[in-house]
Amino acid sequence: MPATTSSHWKSKLTSSLFIVPYLIAFIAFTLIPIIYGFIISLKEYNLLDPVHPFVGLDNYKKIFTDGTQENDLFFIGMKATLKFVVFSVPFLVVIGLGFALLLNALPAKLRSLFRSIYFIPYAVSATVMAVIWKRMFDVTGGFLNLLMAKVGIREFDPIPWLMDTPFVWFSLVVATLWWTIGFNMIIFVNALNGVPEDLYEAAKIDGANGWDRLKSITLPFIRPVLIFVLITSTIASYNVFAQPNLISNAGDETKVLLMGILQTAYTAREIGSASAMAILMGLSIMIVSIIQFKITNQKE
Amino acid sequence: MKSFKIFYVLLASILGIIFILPMLWMFSNSFKTDVEVMSPVFHLFPQEFTMDNFHTIFVGGAVEVPIFRWIFNSFFVGFAATLLVIVVDAMAAYALAKLDIPLKRTLFALFIGSLMVPGIISFLPQYLNFSNFNLINTYYVLILPYSGGALGVFLLIQFFQSFPNEIIEAARIDGANKWQVFISVLMPSSVSIVTTLAIFTFMSVFNDYVWPFFTVTDLQMRTLTAGVAVMATGSFVQSYGKLMALATLSTIPTLIIFIIGQRQFIQSITATGVKQ
Repeated sequence: MPATTSSHWKSKLTSSLFIVPYLIAFIAFTLIPIIYGFIISLKEYNLLDPVHPFVGLDNYKKIFTDGTQENDLFFIGMKATLKFVVFSVPFLVVIGLGFALLLNALPAKLRSLFRSIYFIPYAVSATVMAVIWKRMFDVTGGFLNLLMAKVGIREFDPIPWLMDTPFVWFSLVVATLWWTIGFNMIIFVNALNGVPEDLYEAAKIDGANGWDRLKSITLPFIRPVLIFVLITSTIASYNVFAQPNLISNAGDETKVLLMGILQTAYTAREIGSASAMAILMGLSIMIVSIIQFKITNQKE
Repeated sequence: MKSFKIFYVLLASILGIIFILPMLWMFSNSFKTDVEVMSPVFHLFPQEFTMDNFHTIFVGGAVEVPIFRWIFNSFFVGFAATLLVIVVDAMAAYALAKLDIPLKRTLFALFIGSLMVPGIISFLPQYLNFSNFNLINTYYVLILPYSGGALGVFLLIQFFQSFPNEIIEAARIDGANKWQVFISVLMPSSVSIVTTLAIFTFMSVFNDYVWPFFTVTDLQMRTLTAGVAVMATGSFVQSYGKLMALATLSTIPTLIIFIIGQRQFIQSITATGVKQ
């Protein structure tokens, strides 16, 4: 009996060795930063000051006190971020699904060609995407304004796509759709392939048209994937940074939360306040995702 | 029915052209002179073809663009991070899926739970940690943080769990130890899922923008993605031709990898999409 216990113990030890490298990485680069983040948010942590006194919830209070810089940056950022989420997510979901339905309606030979075309922008990095779209929407020499002048629309009055509302939101959403829609499309294509063909056959015999079939067979069937795409798109839009930071010239209107947090950290050097803002942002992402999941996952 | 198909093909083609145009515009502008780039007349293709923009980037002159160093940095960081992620994630997933280790449930819950914490929360503390160890502007800060993510472990566990225990037991009876089972039984059967994870990791590291942009300030240590941002907001802010040439150059490597690995990549998205 003691012999088996000891070999069992040894076996557990050799098994545990396999998890050690990852566990070290996880603790060092995920767990500690998360815990440390909470601690910093409770400190007055200015990068230029060697002393970082503990101030409790002061950083959080500052964010909710009218007139402070933290208050400005956080709520300007929150407003811009939520606007972007509201403007982009419906399109990311609906157009992603639309592209998938379109692909499925194509002759089989053309499917993979068009799938590649719509998916290629996904291979472009955030900064190249931003460089391209800043140029597309530029006032002087930008693709869209030049094209509109060419076909005779608004020749002497180019649209300030990147400066004024609502154009700037249109531009940011278009750039985002171009860059990321391929990903959602492929997830939807796969979900659509999982819908049993005989359900459609039966519906056809019953005389259901295309819209009926979409509404009462396809959508209910792909519902889990729909929820997945909705939530991942919302989280991605919530974390938007490259598009407004590098493309837009609209000032506070498009100054999203991540821009405000990074400005607080790297320009104002107030890491404590920035961490408190980051934690509030993180909490609000989690709350929004949970609400979305609860609402969309309700049994009818 | 036939006319419907033609309508769909037509619609898909128009959308396809719209999707291609922005990249074509970038490509075309990179061969235009600065005067023509800003010209108020629409030319899809350059009227006066010039290589000056690429010449400036490669040869330099007044503006320093260490393009080859950036390409090297991006590939080095991408490959190193991918290799690291694959090794530590695969070993951990093997332990969690197939071996008897203490606190298995607790660890699993901790890893999955970490997936729900938004990245911004650990961004600044992570930066401070590396800064405190004087590792800003090094390859360490560009590579190591990716190894702490739990997504890869999660992906591999799901695959490893479905691997038949009988095969592992047979190998054990034949005298293979745990490490041998891992290397010569489990890993060879998991090539597709491991490749999937590798492509995902490489693409996301290669194209990452915010982390490398803020943790590396030395021009020579920049990655391509961060380098483009530096030039876009700095030296090339008024010179669109050169900026477009730089953007074109920095897109070619990912585009090649993407075209080669496309089938695998699409299958991998499929796999993750369905699982969740």
